[in-house]
Amino acid sequence: MKELIIDSYYIAWRELKKYFRQKTRMIVTVIQPFLWLVLMGNAMSGLTSNPMAAQFLGTGNYLTFMTPGIILMTVMFTSIFSGTTVVWDRRFGYLDKLLAAPIKRGAIPFGKMFAAAVQGLLQAVIIIIVAILFGVKFQSGFLGILMILLIATLLAFILAGFSLALSVRIKTIETLMAVINLFMMPLMFASNALFPVNVMPKWLQAIAKVNPVTYAIVPMRDLTVKGWTQNVWVYTLIILIIDIIVMVWTNRVFKNATAE
Amino acid sequence: MSDAIIVENLRKTYSNGVEAVKGISFSVHYGEIFGFLGPNGAGKSTTIKTVIGLLKPTSGKIILDGHDVQKDPYKARLAKGYASQETAVDDRLTAYENIYLQGKFFHMKEEEIRKNAEELLKMFGLWERKNDLVETFSGGMMKRLDIAAALIHKPKILFLDEPTLGLDIQTRAAIWEYIRKFKESGMTIFLTTHYLEEADALCDRVAIIDKGQIMALDKPGALKSEIGGDLITITFANTGENTEKFLEAVKKIEGIKSVSKMKNGIYSIVAEKNGDKMIPELFSLAPEFNVQINSVRLKRPTLDDVYMKYTGRTIREAESSRDENMKNRMITRRAKR
Repeated sequence: MKELIIDSYYIAWRELKKYFRQKTRMIVTVIQPFLWLVLMGNAMSGLTSNPMAAQFLGTGNYLTFMTPGIILMTVMFTSIFSGTTVVWDRRFGYLDKLLAAPIKRGAIPFGKMFAAAVQGLLQAVIIIIVAILFGVKFQSGFLGILMILLIATLLAFILAGFSLALSVRIKTIETLMAVINLFMMPLMFASNALFPVNVMPKWLQAIAKVNPVTYAIVPMRDLTVKGWTQNVWVYTLIILIIDIIVMVWTNRVFKNATAE
Repeated sequence: MSDAIIVENLRKTYSNGVEAVKGISFSVHYGEIFGFLGPNGAGKSTTIKTVIGLLKPTSGKIILDGHDVQKDPYKARLAKGYASQETAVDDRLTAYENIYLQGKFFHMKEEEIRKNAEELLKMFGLWERKNDLVETFSGGMMKRLDIAAALIHKPKILFLDEPTLGLDIQTRAAIWEYIRKFKESGMTIFLTTHYLEEADALCDRVAIIDKGQIMALDKPGALKSEIGGDLITITFANTGENTEKFLEAVKKIEGIKSVSKMKNGIYSIVAEKNGDKMIPELFSLAPEFNVQINSVRLKRPTLDDVYMKYTGRTIREAESSRDENMKNRMITRRAKR
């Protein structure tokens, strides 16, 4: 166990070292959520002047409704591409080098998942700061903000793990991108990240029920709009369980990575 | 003491049905340079990847430094260093970071890494560039860094998969020098190559591999002497009775196997060995028969001749398949960048 953690740390170290070296990538990841908040917040602000809509959203401020959604989306887009690093590593032989080293195999995905989570966390912190500057009030207070960050990190872990597990089988970046995009759309829209579930048609609501993104967004939104609800605890627990399942899965996939 | 690498009846069939390795056995002694020579696609990389545990063998047994690769993969992995033919260095990290990470992957202590990394980077002439991003390096520098990283934990056995593929002549010579130095320090080296001169220059023993099978295995010199002796071709200023008498006398020299006339007035003399020492004897004999020698050429058998003998084609012919050429070009391009 100790070795697994140490090995994962150095895998993550490598990813993060490279991440912080890419200035453009870092700046873009900061600008993107900023644009979302400004553009979407302004464009949709008319919506909340309709009292019916305000009731559905649970708040009089669309920006408040949107903020958790934007945190979630940014984290998703960062973490889901984690698998591309494995495809790339395989391309130039580094994956073989990792597999030939006496490290725990599971450390490869866990390290990369951890790196993705750190990147996601960083972005989430920036969005929250910007949102506060735009007048968004977090009902659950400072501890609630920490909880939001925790949930965002847990979600980053799930999505990164998912894409890493795929990357063991998928050998080209193009195919991996296509597969990821296939999953991204339903993950996004069949959740209440952008629109409340109540206003969705029944069939879409059914998909939203099994979508892990819903389980992340509900507690995040509750923490922002309502405060510490019971859903916060229940849904976070579900997210945690999904995290464990994904970790067991990726660990197995990478352990068998030489099985051919 | 047992051998550094023992491979018994190794077989590897890929899931798509390709039989890359068809039941080979060999062992590598401690402290020797052992070469796998063969064209691309002969099964060299598959063998090396199976031996170090990157691929699971279909059947067979592999012992690395006394550890069964399948039963005790951790210890087997600790005993060896591996530099793949793709030159697997992370070009967005610095040279030092690359080597440091490799040390960490082998669970070395911070101090030990620092000490070994300095020694290796200095040895490979990369110390001044240690804090530069690898993307600014030439292909040869990347290769040197890759080998240095493979050595960070001072492995007993070093695996080099095509260590000089796509490198220029000077870099290749430099890498050969390093490999000889490792050998002097007592390391066991297993390398694959499709360069005959590389196998010839470096290896204590060579296995010729073709289509997943070992066709021959011996010292390069022994393999070459199997082909026959040194070939001396000779021409004369004028031919006639004197020449015939002279050649009769040459036949009687000890160590000369045969003398035969070829076309265009060229005669060929086959010496069992030491053809170079035969040439002065020819010259000292010539005045006795009043013959004037015009030209003499000595050709020694090369591993290419050996390869030809065992596989029925030259390495270049074996490599002419289009896919292999493409793959080669890709690697070469990366190496040259």
